[in-house]
Amino acid sequence: MAVSFPGGDLADRLAGYLDGLNNRHGLEEGVVEGNVVRVVVAPESVPQVLATAREQLKVLHLSFITVVDWEGSFELTYELMDLRGGTVRVKTVIEGTEPVIGSVTNVYPTANWHEREAYDMFGVAFRGHPDLRRTYMWQDHFDHHPLLKSFDISTKRTFEGLR
Amino acid sequence: MLSEERRNETVALDGTASGRLARPDIRSEFGLETMDMNMGPQHPAMHGLLRLILELDGETVMRCDPVMGYLHRSQEKIAENRMYPAVVPMTDRLDYFANIHNEHGYVLAVEDVLDAEIPPRAEYIRVLMSELMRLASHIPSIGFLMLELGAFTPILYAFRERERIQNFLEAITGARMMFHYFRIGGVKADLPPGILEEISEYLDGLEGRFQTDTVDLVTGSEIYVARTKDVGKMTPEQALDMGVTGPPLRGTGVDFDIRRDYPYSVYPELDFDVVTDDAGDVAASYRVRIGEVWQSIRIIRQVIEKMPEGPVMADLGRRLRPREGDGFGRVESPRGEFAVHVVSDGSDSAYRVHYRDPSFCNMQLLQEVVPGHYLPDIMPILGMIDPVSGGWDK
Amino acid sequence: MEFLNFLNQEPFRFLLAFGVVLFLTLNLAAILVMGERKVAGYIQLRYGPNRVGPRGLLQPLADIIKLFTKENISPGKADLWIFLGAPIAMFIPVAAVWLVIPFAPGAVVADINVAILFFVAVTSIGALGVIMAGYGSRSNFSLLGALRGAAQMISYEVPLILSLLGVVMLTGSLSLVDVVNAQGGGFWNWYVVLQFPMFIVFYISALAETKRVPFDLPEGESEIVGGYMIEYSGMTWGLIQAAEFAGMGLMSGISVTLFLGGWQPPLEFLDLGQFNWVWFGIKTALIMFTFQWIRWSLPRLRMDQLMDLGWKVMVPLTLVWLVITAAAMLVF
Repeated sequence: MAVSFPGGDLADRLAGYLDGLNNRHGLEEGVVEGNVVRVVVAPESVPQVLATAREQLKVLHLSFITVVDWEGSFELTYELMDLRGGTVRVKTVIEGTEPVIGSVTNVYPTANWHEREAYDMFGVAFRGHPDLRRTYMWQDHFDHHPLLKSFDISTKRTFEGLR
Repeated sequence: MLSEERRNETVALDGTASGRLARPDIRSEFGLETMDMNMGPQHPAMHGLLRLILELDGETVMRCDPVMGYLHRSQEKIAENRMYPAVVPMTDRLDYFANIHNEHGYVLAVEDVLDAEIPPRAEYIRVLMSELMRLASHIPSIGFLMLELGAFTPILYAFRERERIQNFLEAITGARMMFHYFRIGGVKADLPPGILEEISEYLDGLEGRFQTDTVDLVTGSEIYVARTKDVGKMTPEQALDMGVTGPPLRGTGVDFDIRRDYPYSVYPELDFDVVTDDAGDVAASYRVRIGEVWQSIRIIRQVIEKMPEGPVMADLGRRLRPREGDGFGRVESPRGEFAVHVVSDGSDSAYRVHYRDPSFCNMQLLQEVVPGHYLPDIMPILGMIDPVSGGWDK
Repeated sequence: MEFLNFLNQEPFRFLLAFGVVLFLTLNLAAILVMGERKVAGYIQLRYGPNRVGPRGLLQPLADIIKLFTKENISPGKADLWIFLGAPIAMFIPVAAVWLVIPFAPGAVVADINVAILFFVAVTSIGALGVIMAGYGSRSNFSLLGALRGAAQMISYEVPLILSLLGVVMLTGSLSLVDVVNAQGGGFWNWYVVLQFPMFIVFYISALAETKRVPFDLPEGESEIVGGYMIEYSGMTWGLIQAAEFAGMGLMSGISVTLFLGGWQPPLEFLDLGQFNWVWFGIKTALIMFTFQWIRWSLPRLRMDQLMDLGWKVMVPLTLVWLVITAAAMLVF
């Protein structure tokens, strides 16, 4: 089998990931929490940070991309896994209501559909994405992004503020 | 889609189906045209509501573009607008063929953000349920593959087993499909008396029946071998690039299983093997599935043996108000890695819930693997992914 | 009963017999659908149809009533004459071949001396019906099914015809009556003993000709959803189905006639005289059952594998066996 997995002690490996990312990029924040390396980076450097993780540190698997709409800013979480217990969680915050960020499809091809989904649900534009279409919603005549907090629905089922 | 260079790299593999594609210059020289074909969403072999836009050169598929969204219910938006416990029944509707794993992923994520402690008996019951559900999903998926290859009978043999497992699930949870059994902090109720002995008895019979009715009937068939060998072939690098997890990934030889590598619940205390295969084609992924059925039976036997006594529900208070922050839950569902990311803002409903569904992510390989195959090969490749409509559409 | 003798004279004899054969063919299709569902049921651990009539025996009647009362829908862009002509073009050849099959001693509608040639010629018209159906529907799925069907039926015609030649060589006649007469005197005289490989090739080719699993690529319900018959509904669909099932019955009848001794009883003392059609019926039913058994057990081949099997395995096999047969006839 051609794919090689990282070996050795998990704590050492996670420290290695953090060092590797720290040496090459300016991280806004970088800590090891349990089995997770949590780093916060500026949105411009996300593709480079992920490229370092993929090519130099051999973190092979992109699990998912979560976008959170904080009403005024967007928080993106890239969850990377080295398939042997270690996780690298790259977070970034994009200010503004029309988020644009570089695509990571040429680093992790699997990001293709995750970015399409993020575009569909939040309107996050991924610069350099080869095929940025909507995944779930209608391709045309529909210019809403349903998971934005400003997209209101009428059936809220929480009791916050009632009692 | 991959960038052009990367595509050329992967296409250059020896023996892939892409070699069958006619060269474009030949096509233009003879004035040949391709045929666009729309497969689905109303199609008996599309695992629900998948639509494939195909470009055909004779029977050879040149381009395959999956279109999703025909079963989209915006589960993530619903989850944002309900209180934490009320989302659990909604997760049942995601991957409706292996619901327990969705519930498990979600409750793990919420318990992560709550920092909750789960009683050991509840953990063991959760593992028992997960593995029963895995049996109930893997055995019919072998039948589904045969159905898509044109044999109608194995699916009914497989569903007989699923039906019996569902009887156990019904006895434990009270429902046949949409269980709502896992609760944040434990499980809904304790096991009914005597169920463990009955499950153990059933597994004794299942071992024999699975070998004769499914393994021998399916893998012994020459036509099955001819139809699945070297179909949907991919290398480990390709599979990892496309974010494939679960049996298709293990079928390429990548030794990765969430249960072992990112352990959750009480899996570290249990003894099981991660089944892998080297071929990387449809047949390999089915050998992996068959191996996993044996492993699941092994796990259930251990769980029955080790089942501790005690409460099944932790006391987390009546209103769940987690701390602000992120919660992550990740389980190995029968189709691959099911992960949930819950973002809490301190109120009693999640600020954001994100599901990473294996059906959605594994389906990316359709775009890469299908071109070059014949039209009937799409069905075994879909069977290799074994996607579920509710899963990829959320 | 003397006054009925006129019925034994042409054209009345022919008309009467033709009516009987047509009646048999149509009924055969209905009964086979019923049989297929029952066989499928028992293979799949269930009962099959058991609501209409005693033990579900009236199910074919209910099916036919349903089909007759359904509206016949055709696609808006369909080539209507071709679309509506296709089921007829499929059904007529299947019904016509029954005219040359001997059911019992002397009970054959037309004892022509080129019956085997007639059978080969008329069944190959069936491919025309498939192409008409697929082309006339103007649908991608139908077109794919029709092209598959045409390629498959024309390819498998070759081993089918070649496998008949051994029997023709042994008999020295193209008449089916002669073929059956030559197989009398016990089951060891049946051509299946001397021509066993040819029987296998004929059987497999017959499966392919009638588009049964594992060769049901033109239908391929899990990939092209019914293939050439995807746009049909109501009785046009019913007629296509009837043609398929009657074709299955026909192929069973032909293989019984050629290789399993036709109406000849397996042992001399079991001769029933005029009632030897019972033997013909029993053997045909057995062959039909094996068709259904295979139908509910095996998955489908792919087009390239199907062609490989036809051209690379069966045609060489028949050619080799023809040489062996000829050499053996020269020696013995």
